[in-house]
Parts: sequence; structure tokens; C-alpha cells
Amino acid sequence: MIEKPIKDYDKEVKNCSCSYCGNNCDDITYLLKNDEIVGVRHACRIGASKIINDQDQRLLSPMIRNDEGILEETTWDVALDKTARLLHNSTRPVLYGWGETSVEAIKKGIKIAEITGSVIDNQSTICHGTSIQAFQNVGHPVMTLGEVKNRADVIVYVGTNPMDDHPRHLSRYTTFPEGFFRRNGRQDRTIITLDPKYTNTAKVSDKWIQFNMDEDYLLFNALRMLLKGEELEEKEVAGVSTQQLEELIKIMKNAEYGALFFGLGVSQTLAKQKNVDVLIQLIEDLNRYSKWSMLPMRGFFNVSGFNIALTSETGYPYGVDFSRGYPRFMVGETTTIDLLNRREPDFFMAVSADPGVQFPGYTIKHLVNIPTIQVDTHWGPYTELSDIVLPSTRVGVETEGTAYRMDSIPLFMKKVIDKPKNCHSDEWILTELYKRIEQLKQEDE
Amino acid sequence: MEYILKNGIVFDPKNNVKGEQMDILIKDNKITDEVSSNAKVLDVTGKLVMPGGVDLHSHIAGPKLSIGRLYRPEDIRRGIKPPSRNDISGFEAGFSLPTCPTIGYRYTKMGYTTVTEAAVPPLEAKHAHEEINSIPNLDIPTLTLFGNNWFMLKYVKENRLDDLKVFISKWLKLAKGYGVKIVNPCGSEAWGWGKNVDGLDDAEPHWEVTGRQVITSLTRVNEELGLPHSVHVHTNDLGHPGNYETTLETFDCVKDIKKNRNVDRNQIIHCTHVQFHSYKGTSWRDVSSGATELIDYINKHNHLTCDVGQITFDETTTMTADAPMEYDLFRLTGLKWANKDIEVETASGLIPAIYSQHAPVSVLQWAVGLEFFMGVKDPWKIALTTDSPNAGPFIRYPKIISWLMSQEKLQDMLDNDVHSWATKRTDLGTYNREYSWDEITVITRSSPAKILGLEDRGHLGLNAKADISVYDIDVDDFDPTLKSNSETIENKLLNSKYTIKDGEILVKDAKIVKLVKSNHIWCNVKGLENSERLLENRIKPEFNKYYTIKYENYGVNDHYIKPDTQVNVEYMGENYESN
Amino acid sequence: MKVIVNTGTSIIQAFYEKKGSTLKNEYRQATAVAFMDLRDMQKLSLKSRDKIKIKSEWGEVVLYADVSYDAPHEGIIFIPKGPWANIIISPETYCCNVPTYKGIPAEITKTDEEVLLVSELMNKVYNKYNLNNSNLSEKPLYKKKGDEQ
Repeated sequence: MIEKPIKDYDKEVKNCSCSYCGNNCDDITYLLKNDEIVGVRHACRIGASKIINDQDQRLLSPMIRNDEGILEETTWDVALDKTARLLHNSTRPVLYGWGETSVEAIKKGIKIAEITGSVIDNQSTICHGTSIQAFQNVGHPVMTLGEVKNRADVIVYVGTNPMDDHPRHLSRYTTFPEGFFRRNGRQDRTIITLDPKYTNTAKVSDKWIQFNMDEDYLLFNALRMLLKGEELEEKEVAGVSTQQLEELIKIMKNAEYGALFFGLGVSQTLAKQKNVDVLIQLIEDLNRYSKWSMLPMRGFFNVSGFNIALTSETGYPYGVDFSRGYPRFMVGETTTIDLLNRREPDFFMAVSADPGVQFPGYTIKHLVNIPTIQVDTHWGPYTELSDIVLPSTRVGVETEGTAYRMDSIPLFMKKVIDKPKNCHSDEWILTELYKRIEQLKQEDE
Repeated sequence: MEYILKNGIVFDPKNNVKGEQMDILIKDNKITDEVSSNAKVLDVTGKLVMPGGVDLHSHIAGPKLSIGRLYRPEDIRRGIKPPSRNDISGFEAGFSLPTCPTIGYRYTKMGYTTVTEAAVPPLEAKHAHEEINSIPNLDIPTLTLFGNNWFMLKYVKENRLDDLKVFISKWLKLAKGYGVKIVNPCGSEAWGWGKNVDGLDDAEPHWEVTGRQVITSLTRVNEELGLPHSVHVHTNDLGHPGNYETTLETFDCVKDIKKNRNVDRNQIIHCTHVQFHSYKGTSWRDVSSGATELIDYINKHNHLTCDVGQITFDETTTMTADAPMEYDLFRLTGLKWANKDIEVETASGLIPAIYSQHAPVSVLQWAVGLEFFMGVKDPWKIALTTDSPNAGPFIRYPKIISWLMSQEKLQDMLDNDVHSWATKRTDLGTYNREYSWDEITVITRSSPAKILGLEDRGHLGLNAKADISVYDIDVDDFDPTLKSNSETIENKLLNSKYTIKDGEILVKDAKIVKLVKSNHIWCNVKGLENSERLLENRIKPEFNKYYTIKYENYGVNDHYIKPDTQVNVEYMGENYESN
Repeated sequence: MKVIVNTGTSIIQAFYEKKGSTLKNEYRQATAVAFMDLRDMQKLSLKSRDKIKIKSEWGEVVLYADVSYDAPHEGIIFIPKGPWANIIISPETYCCNVPTYKGIPAEITKTDEEVLLVSELMNKVYNKYNLNNSNLSEKPLYKKKGDEQ
């Protein structure tokens, strides 16, 4: 697909922060004409699609399902009052999502969870929640991406395909750019990809090691053994020859600065957090010989920000249950998928997230039986299951706010263009809901 | 609003008030000498009255705390307290890693009104300021990490102190920082390659700069700028047996640098948590205290101050920009290790620590801390800290005070509770000192405020900030030297009768009655604007090449610092005190 | 034929998802696809864009079949994450809160049935509001304020 360069614009806004993935590229230029964004520079294909997106599928007005099951436009007062009442009267509400909104909005959401006794949870619960469990089990040796750019001579990607999910990860942060101690960029680095598939990332790597799905745990343990000087009796582990593993561990051991990135291919496969446990231990062991650090490839642009904001306010990173008035966090108990699988919740609100895209069908089936609220910018699968729709604005485009990159660097995202007239920011919507619920609580007393 | 705080027993060391019964008058946010007949009377007859508490070194906001909370849910669970009915404060959570609101609640109830966040990397300063917005009821200056910054290293290496001066001035504005923090200079940069530096004169392998060069250069620049606080230094070799020599050299390496004429403080270097830097020996087997030599130096010199970093016998969490030391601890204890390297600026690490009164090393560290309290003669040279949460969480300050005020209590601990290394390997047993309320006021209020250069607090003089704490202790009928009273001291100091900040009552009878937004205190140097612009133009291309965010998105904008207090410093060129 | 299902992000699926075009055919074309090793396709005599029915313990759904550029991975098929893949993946979290998105045993057969658009799929599978599928399309179905029926 070849696109012509855009010349017809009357204003440039530079150094905008992208609102797609955990790369949070902050070097984006928006091209404007008549106060509309007509072009985007420096962003990847997906980032650009998020910035100039489909306006004919935009949610533009609050809506409530009518008796025929069709969404019907209504006023903000009616929609907010109804939402507040449903939430106030529920006994096991779940407030889910938050990956694509600002920390400012998330903090309002946490306040609502506290006063309504809700469970508040984010996409960690379906993505890197297991990685966070592993951090809690074993440790957390991480770095900011600039450390990799400036120092790394060996970079390992495990169970992640940034060329598709985080397209500028290699070009902006790890592989290609010139670094302070890596003046020749790509030439000064060895890139290794471990993946069952020959992914686009594997294709640009120096080395691709294919291993059997669901055998990550075995593989990483074998690497630890080799690092400690043990000998493997098997000729092959997880489908990888022992010789290949020996070569790999030698490269890793001799690195000056090594960085390991891992994705859902590790945190979502069979042994889940146990995979990550071993991977962390491998990094710890490697630090006896050289310098190594690691980072999970976080997906949404503010999924990390939610974990940070929630720990600041409640102490726990995700899946926080306020039903007793104080925060509780228990993996498998207070986490969204488990709650829905047990058919517990009697109210479900998704803010800037689409459970229709993200949850297993069996889990979604419970959403058919309970009131469901959507706070989002675009029509999506979840809209088809929502009783009330509250249309919001896009952070970093129409609304300002804070986001945290995958390596927890905070970025302030700008407001560049005006929001659609009848949409409101997540922060505004949640503030209004909070006020209404406080009012209902006072009326009860 | 006007108040008359009536008939309290007032301790205000700066104004030479040592336990006199008197009234304190408050008008709006200041101490005054005259109020109208509308003033409300708060009867505190016979009760202990002090200026609001000032903590000059604590870790309360920013990325370290976040990582700690994220990876230690077991610590969060330890501190859970459901919200009490009819109380405006909410639930509490966390012990050594309290949540942001919990930090505010606990400090306020202890009568503290100013708390310094001691280590903020500029790249993540927005994070620290955002967390401060969630901590209620305090004034919070943040210290900005410079001791391993690449631009600093370059200027030091090339001996461009004029550029360094402008850089510091500009970077404090960008980070909305209050002062210059140096942590294991060059060591944390060496950790970028898994290495450390050994002592003050071991050059970092790439930059070929030593800790000595960094500390002396930044001290010179700090004094030329006339920043209200001196450089705040965590010296090299923290936690290593034998490190007291490095500490001694660090004390001494700046002694000929002249102090700026305009500043109120006495020191040109503040050495923090000295307890961790005062060990003799070659290993943890033959380790002993090196405090005596350091105390002697402090007693004989006036260019330095220190805080202690007192061990409190808790299971806590250590967190520091001294990342190589944290990896050493990981190798030693095997507890779960966290590390975060921050590009161009610093590294940092965390690990849980269990200080037990039965463990010889913990007890040695505990005793070394107390040696400083006992041995440093002038309390204005020392401040009470636990380097919270590194040596213990800040809620243990009252417990420490109970030890300092009672020889009977301390002797009982030495005789019955703690491992024998306390007396065999340190000189703690040779001291016989009991702190008075006046001295306690100095080390928890007046001295930290003076060291920080915050002249408007730490005392109760005319026009001072109306930050006051009142404790439910009848000073004249209470003997703090009795062992049997030590628990009472702890409980009363943990739960103030009144905490007043900016003339507003925040705590009444051990209950939080008002929540206000915390105030971001930062330092704004005026008079170097042109040089800053030129430097910025020179730095930008390099910055955009080696950082991974754009320079334009780097600074902390006003969005994050409401409300703030800008401490203005007029740059006057070289303006030193004569010796 | 028995296969193991792997799901995850593909750049094209993410492109349409982030653009906000999930109701449209372009999203279906990018997302309702099983990417297969060519040798597996040959075993079932499948050409690109032929349709297959895939069935797991948790449900069944019709998808397009297409050639995987990430091969070789015989016996494994890759489906971009989305409402179609969701139907057949396992909700089992093993008490670790993350459902099982990868490594699901399933069976595939060639079919002539249609691949549904998102709105049709959600209505047919979950049937929350008993709508008539013939009213659903790539366009959002809703009533404007004051619309007369």
C-alpha cells in the first residue's frame, strides 16, 4: 500500500504522544487542516489509524436500549442517572478496562470503585497479570528503553512479535537506533527471537529459535541449567537442540548489556506466571556474569499507568475488590475473568476497553444476563452487548492527560483538536457519575 | 481564621524557648503576636507544643515506591486498616510501602507537616509529582538525582563548571526539584555494566570520573548558585564493611569549598543515613562500628550535617538509586530483587530487608545509628530519620524518640533484647546521654528545617508558618526517662492532639479532621535565564539522540504541581562567605 | 483435522481494530481468519479464503483459511485475537486470572457456511436482545433521538 505524502494542511503539531501501544512514541506530528487531523507523521500504521480513525463508527451521543432491544439516543442526564442508579443498587459491580484512558480518569474510577464497593480491574487481568504475579513471586529487574538503546549489544525477544504489536519498538528503542555506546546501531547488536512462529520479528533477527508451544517452562529451565554449567542429558529440549541452547546461553553470558523482552507468548501459555518466574531467575543469574534486565511488552498505551495509579491509591496493581470497604487483591478470586466465569457480577462497566474483542466467549455469556455499560469512543463488539452507551473522547487527541509507557516513563498527552460536540472525556463522565452516586448515598441515609 | 493556642508547654529551640508555658497566636497561615477578639481559643494547658515535624529524608513518592508496592503485596496486606466510621480519612494500606493517602494520614497524625522526598530521577519526576497529588496534608520538597547524570559527568570530566551550574539551575526547573541529590556517584552509572566503583577515587570505567570529582564539583556549583539546601549526599560504598573510610574522605573532600553568603544553613554538605556508611572491618564476620571516628569528625567540623537512618527492627523494604548495592544484598539474602535502570540519569534497586534484634549484623547497624545520636554533641548537626523505609518505616520515629529519652529503656534493650554485638562491636555502651524535649524538637523540627534551608518553618517565631503539633503529654508531670513510660511516648507521638498546618487544624484528638492537597516545594533560580536558553539549544540534539522521549515532553508542567511553592533564588554570581 | 490454536495480535487486525472499524467487512477480512501452514491446507484441499469451521471444547465458529507467512508451524493455526477467536478459546484461568488464549486443541473442517460480520456474530452467539439478524450490517444500528419507527 503506497500512500501519497500529505501536502494539503495548514498546521503542524509536533511531539504528540501516540495513543496506541505501550511504546507511547512521543515524536508524532499531527497535520491539521481546518482544525481536523488530516495526516500523521512518524507514527506506525496502527498508531496512525488510532489518530485518524473511522468517524462513521464513532459513538456520538449517549444511548440506552429501548424495549425492542435497539440502542436509542438520549440525554446525558438520563444516561448518567440511570448508570449511577444501576451501579449504586448493585451488590457485585465490576469496573473494567482503563487501558486506553488517562491516569486522571483512572483515579476518578478508583474513587467510584471505593464508594460503591466495586471490583476495579484492567487489561492486565487478561494480558500481563501473570507477569505481575511473577514479579511478586520472584523479583522485578527492569530498565527504561533508553538503557537498551544506549548500551545493549544483545537483545532477546521471547514470545512476542513487536514488528506486529509494537511496530516501532525495534526502530525507535532497541535494535536500529544509534546508542551512546552503540554508535553503529543495528550492526553493534545481536538480536535473537524465541518463538514457535517465524514471526516478522524473527525475520529481522540474527537468530530465530523455534520452540514447542506450551514448553516455555522447560526451555527456560534448561537455559538456567546450562548457565550454571550443568550438562543436559537430552539432545533436545522443547524442540530445540541442546547445541543451539548452548550457543544461545553463551551469547547471553558474554553480553556487555543484555535486554530481554517477553510477551503474551510467555505469560498466556500453559504454565503462565511460572514461565515468567523462571525467566526472571534466568535474568538474575545472568547478572552474575554480565548486565541483564528485562521488560514485559505491555499492550495498551496506559495499561501500565493503571497498575501504577492503582498501586499508588490502593497498594495493589489490578483486580482490586472494594466490597468490604478496603482494598483486597486475590488472584483468581477478585479478578474479572474468574468473577465472570463464576457468574458473580451483577453490574459491568467497561471504560475504554472492549470485552467483546478481549474475553473468551464463555466469559462473555454472563454479560448477557446483567446490566452492561460502555464508556468508549467507537462502536465495537461490546456495544452490541451494552445496555447503556456513554460516548467519550480520545486521550492525546481530543483530551489531555497522563500515560505511562511500558517502562513506566510518564508522558503528558496533549489535546490537539476539539472533541465531538456531544462527547465528553472519561474524566468528566466519571466525575459526573461520582457526584450522582454520592447524591444517591446521601438520599439513602 | 485566628487561633490562640493557650497555655501549652512550648519548645521552640530556634527562639530559645525551652518548655515555657505560653500562648501561640495564629492568624491565617502565620504565627503572629496579635489576634482579634474573634480568635478561637484552643486550650492545651500543660501539653507538649512543638513546631510541625520536618522530615528531611524519606521515600514517599515516585517510581521506587510504585515498584515496591507492585511487587510486595504482602507488605500492603500488613498495613490494611478499614476506614473508621465518621472519619474523613479513608482506609489505610501498606506497612513499609504505604499507599499515597496512607502516607499523608500517618505523617499528619504524627504531627509532621513537611516531608522531603529524597530521590527523584528527572525523567520520572512527573510520576513523583503525580503521587504527591495523592498524598494529603504535607509540604513536599523533592530532591533531584544528579550524581550519575551523563550531562553532569561530561561537564565534570571536561571541567566545565559554568555549564554544570546552568544545567543544575535548568534541570531543577524541569524536574520541579528543590535540591541536589547525589547517590553513589559514578557507582550507579557503572552498574549500567553490572559494576560498581570502590570508594571515592575509583573512576567510572567509561567516563573516567571519580566520586570525589562529582561531589566537589556539585558542591561548588550548589554554593555558587546559592541553593537553599546544600548538596545531599549518599556516599559511595553504602553497606560495605570498611566503608567508614570512604565516608570520612567524603566529609573531608569539600571542607575548603566556600559557602554562599546568602544561605541560612551552616553546612555545605549533608551526608544522609550515615549509619549505613559507618562500618569497619573487611567482611560481615569481622565488621565493627566506625561511628566513633565519624562522630569525632562531625564534632570538630562545621561544614557538614547528617541524618541517621536508624534501624528499627522491622521487616521493611530497602529502596535506593544505589542499585549495585541492592544486587549485593540480593546475593547476600536471596530475597526478591527489583532493579530499575533509568537511561542517562541513574539506576535504582529494591529488596526486602528483615532487621532482627537477634541477628548480629542488624543489631550492629541499630547500635551504630544510636551511637550517632549519642555522640554528635550539637543536635543542630543531626536529624532523626530512618531513611524511611530503608532502615524502618517512618511510623517508628516515636519509638526511636522513646529510646533516645530513656537510658533505662536503652540499657534494658542492651541487657535483655538485642544481640551482644551491640555492646561488643560498638561503643554504644559507653554513652550516657538522654535527650530532652528541647533536643528532640531540634532533631525532628528545627535542625532538619535549617539544614533544608526552609527558614519559614521548624520554629514558632513571628511570621513563621503556622505549622504546629501538640501532643497529649503533660510535660511537667511526665518523666520520659522512665522505661515504663516509653510505650506512652510512642503512642502519644504517633497520635497528636493537634496537627496544625498553615493555620488549619488537620488533626484533633488523634483524628484527622481535615484533608488538604499537599504542596509541591521547588527551587527556582533567577538570573540565569539567558544562559539556560543557550545551554538548552546545545543540549537538545544530544538529548533527543540518547533519551527515548523528546526534550519537549521531558519537563514537569504546571498540570502536575498544584498547589506549589516556588522558592526563588536570585543568582548573584560568585558570592562566598569569607572563611 | 486436529490442530492447536494460537491467538494473538496481527498488524492488520490491530489496524482495523484501533481505527474503530470493527463492524466493517475489512475487520472481518483481517480478523476472522485462520492462518495455516500450507501443508495443512493442502491436506484439507483448502485454497486461500476458503471457509473452515473450527470447533473446540468451548464453541464453534466459521473462519476464512489463509496461508501463514510465519510458517513452518504444521499442526498449529494462528487466529488474530477478536470476537471470532474468542468463541473457541478456553476461559480456564487455572486460578491465575488470565484465560487460556493459546494452545487450544480444536478440530477444523471445510465448510460453505458464511463468515459473519461482528454485529451478526454477537447477536447470533450471545443473543442478548433477540434482534433480527437481517437488520444487522456494517452500519451501527441505533435510533436517533426523536426518530419515528
